[in-house]
Amino acid sequence: MQFKFTCFLLLFSSTLLFAQKSEYNTISIADSLKENANAIVRLNQIDITISSQRNMNIMTKRVVTVLNEKGIGEIEATEYYSKTSSVKNIEASVFDGLGIEIKKIKRKDFKDQSAVSGSTLFSDDRIIYLDYTPTQYPFTIIYESEVESSNTAFIPQWYPLSDYFVSIEKSILNVNYPDNLGFKKMESNFSNFKINKTIDSSTQLSYTATNITAQKEEDYSPVFNTIFPKVMMGLENFHLENVDGTAKTWSGFGQWYSEKILSGTTELSEETKLKMKALVGDEKDPIKKAKLIYNYVQQKSRYVNISIGIGGWKPMLAADVDRLGYGDCKALTNYTKALLNAVDVPSYNTILYGSSRKRNIEPDFVSMQGNHMILSIPNGDNYIWLECTSQDTPFGYQGTFTDDRDVLIMKPDGGEIVRTKIYQDKDNTQISKGKFSLSQTGDFLGKIIIVSEGSQYNQKAAIENFQPTDKEAHYKKYWDNINNLKIDKITFTNDKENISFTENAEISAVNYGSISGNKIMFVVNGYNQITGNVKRIRNRKNPFEIQRGYADGDEIEISLPSGFSIEFLPSNFELKTKFGEYKTEIIKKDATNLVYKRTMFLKKGLYSSKEYDEYRLFIEQISRNDNAKIILTKNI
Amino acid sequence: MKCNQLAIILFFTLFFLKANAQEFKLGKVSIEELQEKVNPKDTSAVAAILFKKGETRCEYSNGVGFTVITKVALRIKIYKKEGYDWANQQVNFVKVSFFKETVDFTDAITYNLVGGKIEKTKLKGEGEFEENIDKFLSKKKITMPNVKVGSVIEYEYTIKSPNVGSFKDFDFQTNIPVNYVEYTTYIPDYFSFTNRFKGFITPRVISDKKNREIVMVDKEIIVGQGTKFSERKIFYQETKTSYIVENLPALKDEVYVNNVNNYAVSLSQELSTTKFPDEPLKMISADWNSVVKSIYEFDNFGPELNKTGYFEEDMKNVIAGLSTPEEKITALLNYVKTTVKWNDYYGYSCNDGVKKAYKEKTGNIAEINLMLTAMLRYSGLTANPVLVSTRSNGIAIFPNRTAFNYVIAAVETPNGLILLDASDKFSMPNILPFRALNWMGRLIRKDGTSEEVDLMPKVVSNNTVMMNYSVDVNGQIAGKLRRQRTNHNAMIYRINTDNIKEETYLEKLENENEKIEIKDYSRANEKELNLPVSETFSFSGANLCEGIGGKIYINPLLFFSQQQNPFKQENREYPIDYGFPFLDKYSINIQIPEGYKVETLPSPAVLNMQDNLGSFKFMTNLSENTIQLVITNQINTAIISSEYYSMLKEYYQGMVAKENEKIVLTKI
Repeated sequence: MQFKFTCFLLLFSSTLLFAQKSEYNTISIADSLKENANAIVRLNQIDITISSQRNMNIMTKRVVTVLNEKGIGEIEATEYYSKTSSVKNIEASVFDGLGIEIKKIKRKDFKDQSAVSGSTLFSDDRIIYLDYTPTQYPFTIIYESEVESSNTAFIPQWYPLSDYFVSIEKSILNVNYPDNLGFKKMESNFSNFKINKTIDSSTQLSYTATNITAQKEEDYSPVFNTIFPKVMMGLENFHLENVDGTAKTWSGFGQWYSEKILSGTTELSEETKLKMKALVGDEKDPIKKAKLIYNYVQQKSRYVNISIGIGGWKPMLAADVDRLGYGDCKALTNYTKALLNAVDVPSYNTILYGSSRKRNIEPDFVSMQGNHMILSIPNGDNYIWLECTSQDTPFGYQGTFTDDRDVLIMKPDGGEIVRTKIYQDKDNTQISKGKFSLSQTGDFLGKIIIVSEGSQYNQKAAIENFQPTDKEAHYKKYWDNINNLKIDKITFTNDKENISFTENAEISAVNYGSISGNKIMFVVNGYNQITGNVKRIRNRKNPFEIQRGYADGDEIEISLPSGFSIEFLPSNFELKTKFGEYKTEIIKKDATNLVYKRTMFLKKGLYSSKEYDEYRLFIEQISRNDNAKIILTKNI
Repeated sequence: MKCNQLAIILFFTLFFLKANAQEFKLGKVSIEELQEKVNPKDTSAVAAILFKKGETRCEYSNGVGFTVITKVALRIKIYKKEGYDWANQQVNFVKVSFFKETVDFTDAITYNLVGGKIEKTKLKGEGEFEENIDKFLSKKKITMPNVKVGSVIEYEYTIKSPNVGSFKDFDFQTNIPVNYVEYTTYIPDYFSFTNRFKGFITPRVISDKKNREIVMVDKEIIVGQGTKFSERKIFYQETKTSYIVENLPALKDEVYVNNVNNYAVSLSQELSTTKFPDEPLKMISADWNSVVKSIYEFDNFGPELNKTGYFEEDMKNVIAGLSTPEEKITALLNYVKTTVKWNDYYGYSCNDGVKKAYKEKTGNIAEINLMLTAMLRYSGLTANPVLVSTRSNGIAIFPNRTAFNYVIAAVETPNGLILLDASDKFSMPNILPFRALNWMGRLIRKDGTSEEVDLMPKVVSNNTVMMNYSVDVNGQIAGKLRRQRTNHNAMIYRINTDNIKEETYLEKLENENEKIEIKDYSRANEKELNLPVSETFSFSGANLCEGIGGKIYINPLLFFSQQQNPFKQENREYPIDYGFPFLDKYSINIQIPEGYKVETLPSPAVLNMQDNLGSFKFMTNLSENTIQLVITNQINTAIISSEYYSMLKEYYQGMVAKENEKIVLTKI
């Protein structure tokens, strides 16, 4: 009996050992890695093998311990594939906190779907991903995959730290490449992180990063990839959807793009060319001609994204856009270029990152970059930039999607990095002029004209096209300090010539002033309050950035109810800091009429983490003063 | 007499259809339609459906059987650039070998007015796409060429489906205005369907019968003579039914709406009975009882419910020593909650089956709650499944199988029904996850009979705050508070704080409440689901009251006062859905500084809504240096009908104004 029992025990423990990955139990994780982490990447090993200009193989082994629901996203058991790439292997296994295997997941258990996202109408791309329901926390997933592709134009960028609230125990990158393809790399933001470059030769590159603690996300932080480590990689001789390419210099890359990708796409019918010539008539000024053509494109076309094969990179033929009236950013940009060409106005395809958070094409690293295309027209020493996917944007206006960043202009004789238009802080204006009256019962009745320019135009111009309910919702949010707000009338003037948007509103609200006994108390600044939403952050780590500055000016006449006298009037206030300036003033015209003046100027800038609290207090003081109240007492 | 009436109706019908037939035909776009600048009934419309004409037929073919063919023709006017989305269309369809649907777009043309003449641009292959979404589902998409502001678009699509069981829902209303819609079904008498209309407008219905025939071809192979074909004809009657609606306004979403699609005018149809020649009448679904019975008889429902072998062994430990129903219910609910995790899939039928779900520790809604029901029964309780339609699925109004997409468990006790859902770790007996709180469910007994069950909570969920604070001469406020939440309020709190680190939570709490500083924070009964969850902390803040001109103005509720009336819209069509009845109660003691006295104290107030829908009370009391307030807002029902909207809006307006009245302190 005794013997039998031991035997059984041995057998049991040996099976246990077999299915146990003791190195991945969760007890051995250092406490420092658990801090602020929803998941811990125990190992992320990426082996990239480029065997030729037309073949790249990527093997991934990723071991992730997930501590709670919020960490599920860090498993990242996802691969994309298309007609020119294939997923050769994908599998995973799940271990519990002790490191005992609880589930094996084979390829057929992964979800395999079309990868069409929101704005895309059609795409060949597919996605294969793991959809795992955890039965307990913590657990560890070992994920392995192998993807092979003939595209070598995009070597994945290496981010040892890929997200906030995740820590890294070990992250390894190994890249193998032939020495004749011109492999190159660029490292950024390595300081403050433990990253070892273990091999760097003519055919091999390896890094190991260890023990990176989880980072908290903090408001106003600069874009993730400008503060955390990354390695960009590329080949001087690459391959893209059955086309060989070169990228030694921006100039050479631009030449290749123009010759191999763009050439032949801008042909137009004689009929269309004649139509364009007729449209511009006798106009000689190239900019005025461009304006007429741009307007024509805006009336005629709409944005539809279709990416099939090289269509993902090569624009649709201009002649097709002419016939169908739709296309994506590349197609519409190229089409506009073709039309401009017909009236002898030169213009260039321009590649960039389109986003309201400014992101540069990395100027020091020649490679395929960007996610958007616009058109640039030379204008003396500068350029005029055209967003061809919009039917509403004024000619040459960049808003906040493409402004103030490094972009790549594709000139026929080569590429060039240029900065797009910078909207100066002082030019991003919002000027409000208006009045309001307060009744004896505290009701509000007012009229206001608001003129917005510069980058503030961008936020406002869209309101014009809102549906009535959305319009109402917008104003109820904009004036959320006014309770029971009613929009009695609202009209707009959109001056696209001068890029200036005017809102003309009549509003009313009951109980604006609060009544306590024989007093009425109300906020002087009714129309333009900063409600102070700069958060307190305990121990901020990251620098903070104000992406765009602005200048607001308000001049409001206030008429008080008769039969009341002023018991308290807020004093004038002025604030000057490195972040900007703020000033308010109340002028007493007579017993019942006041004028309120307010100016607010905010500068754009990048500041250290230490300065964040100073900024928060700056905004808080403004917010408090914006909420300053007048008290009226009933005359007895 | 009856016969005569029918004749009159028929006559009228034919006349009517004929009169309209001219206008609503593809290809006949008029210059007036192209010239129209705005929709005459809704000038804000970005586009409008000028007409939509659909028909569904059941057609027989040899060797295949009945196929459902649905054709839909549309004419759409684009008024604004924001309406360009209407130039892209897509239709989903199922594409698996044993159930193959097809979709074809035809006659897709864009019309523009160019120099006073109509210019046509046809859709070609380059604008047509087919996308395989996953193993089962595909999508046909088109993008129309040459679309500009003012264009008129036309197209027709045909869906062929082997699914005679239920037709695709036909939508009459959408988020742009619809001028005219007509939907016609041609149904052989072998089938009868249950119709389910939704929305505020009911279509005009016209029906008519016709004789039809099927030619059956029989194939006979006779040795030596080759194959011999013979034909035979089967005669049957077909019912043609037309549903017509004109001038439907655009559907607009509003705040605090359960699911706006509940209110869109649409028709769903589901097979209720079949009667084939020489076969008895077969009920599929006609009333709730037969719907429920057919669900019950599904392999993935009833039989799954009856399996017990897989858990019997484990059950001994779980219910050992428990005697009262309450103990058993709690133990079993907790057992299923902790052993089987929800994989985020809905459905009242099992996917992999309860056995596999139990073994793999993960399952869909049906697997989890049918398993729970089976265990409850095994423990000796009277437990039954309750079919539910979730909030996102819309309200189950009419008897049909697709009206439901969810199932929970119910135990009959002397004190009434106890509803259970083990798919959510914070759910409790009679405290269901929010997604399941959607009007009525349908309870199924062992014998297949069923009854309606009200899913909306009756018990009030409390949010009780006790707050003591003092004000100093500089307007600094410091105090302590204790907040307790029960039932649904507790569940929501537990969900929101689950896995949130305390530091992150406090940072948020501080920032959302006028940047107060919080100290000595503690929480109780976070995991004890049957007890109210509570938190206590000390707070201080400089922004909580105002010192103006030597006086101190205090908003007694501090950061708890509602700043705004949540009801902003002037009118409302949809009911106001709170999800559950609730009571917010604040008991506040304020210590005023030495050398100050109360100059103004807000007067007490009571607001009562009619029909006992809710009430607001604001009570104050002053004794020496302490101000005491008790403020309550109680809503007694989960759903308030839109008829009461203006009253409710006024109620909130009064409440918000009262809550923002200030206490004024002056120096003695």
